[in-house]
Amino acid sequence: MIVGSKVDYDISNLYIPKDGKGDNDYQKSFSATLTIIVRDKDGNVIERYKQKSHSPTANFIGLMLPVSYYNKVQKCWTMTTTSNSTFSYGYNCAWTMYPNTGNNYPVYIENIMVGSGSQSNPYNAYNLALPIANGSGTGQLLYSAPNIPTSITINGSQAYFIISQSYNNQSGGTITISEVGIILYLQLGGSAAVLDGNGSVLIWYDVLSSPISVANGQQIVIYYTFSVNA
Amino acid sequence: MLVLNEIPKEDLDYILEPFKEENNKKEENSKQIISEKIIAIIRDAKGNIIDKREQKMKSLIQNYLAIMSIAIIGTYQSATNYNATNFMTNILGLPSQPHVGSNSAVIYFDVSIQVGSGTQSFTPTLSSLSAPISNGTGTGQLIYYSQSVLQINNSISVLDTVSNSSGNTITVSEIGLIGAITVNPYGGIIVTNNRLLSYDTFSSPISIPAGGAASFQIVITFSG
Repeated sequence: MIVGSKVDYDISNLYIPKDGKGDNDYQKSFSATLTIIVRDKDGNVIERYKQKSHSPTANFIGLMLPVSYYNKVQKCWTMTTTSNSTFSYGYNCAWTMYPNTGNNYPVYIENIMVGSGSQSNPYNAYNLALPIANGSGTGQLLYSAPNIPTSITINGSQAYFIISQSYNNQSGGTITISEVGIILYLQLGGSAAVLDGNGSVLIWYDVLSSPISVANGQQIVIYYTFSVNA
Repeated sequence: MLVLNEIPKEDLDYILEPFKEENNKKEENSKQIISEKIIAIIRDAKGNIIDKREQKMKSLIQNYLAIMSIAIIGTYQSATNYNATNFMTNILGLPSQPHVGSNSAVIYFDVSIQVGSGTQSFTPTLSSLSAPISNGTGTGQLIYYSQSVLQINNSISVLDTVSNSSGNTITVSEIGLIGAITVNPYGGIIVTNNRLLSYDTFSSPISIPAGGAASFQIVITFSG
């Protein structure tokens, strides 16, 4: 009989699939889509925009790694906040806070942030290049609260959830959106579940293939759709 | 100001509409975000490789979306609503508010690979393999070794090895990624729920001879 470690040797190095582009012979399992709807002041749709969403950040990857990864590498993951400060996640550092009847440190989606810049390396991005602030001043948009789903929708073999946020331009001028990112307010608990790091972290980032112009008085809604088996 | 409590039907129709290749130049359909792959290497009792498989993984379960939601929408309903999201309670079966006295609670998860000898039709709500092969040396059992998880950039790879000490050939026809999601209220009762995260069948069954072994690897790549 052979033991597991001998067999492991065959594929001990992480196998990275070859570039999947053009590989059309199978049904892709996971997809993410970014959709933007622009409406005039009367609520009439004047533009629709949709693109594939491509870009989880390093913060997201760290949160998607299981305990056994951290036990293997025996080190923590560096989470970088939108203000470029850091705190540590995983292993013997800290884990994501969870609601309870005692002492709460909420972890929640803060914003689908929009911006007017772009950057080429989403994995290492920790903030938008040029975030558009919340407000009615020059260059600003009024942000509503993010809308989170209450359930995962099942449609045949497909399952998905959609998060969204709406914005209103009362700045007096036209505002151009060229980048979008999801900001999570993350709070971590250490071994005694006491607060051990927190901050706003960018977990998903996309540059629009074509910038969107939002005239004064117009409203936009941004939808992120996360789907399996679409 | 437009505030969305529910998605307008005209928006939802557009969101769910398949991408068009040519009608709208702003619609980009050139890159896939995630590719998934399953690899299997099978050896006989002497250690010789007798079979190799590599196939696309097709079938993530809604539980995988629920785990992803921790990193996207968080665990709380909002900054001021201290109840767990419906994804945590309704899909992952976790408590909304574990009792922890004056302390706090944290959540984390682990993954492993399970193989089985059955097949079933895929739905996103599957909860288990059709005929999971249990851990052991008895008839129809395989010994599962500790899983290994690797990460390079946007790729996460889960590797598990099994060996066959049952005395007979064992046929593997299905494979799943299993998540163990834990809520740990410090000083309280720890809750761990196991959930199926992916389900696939092999294009043809794999035979692991008596004394042989097999390594299975599931790779999920978030291609930027």
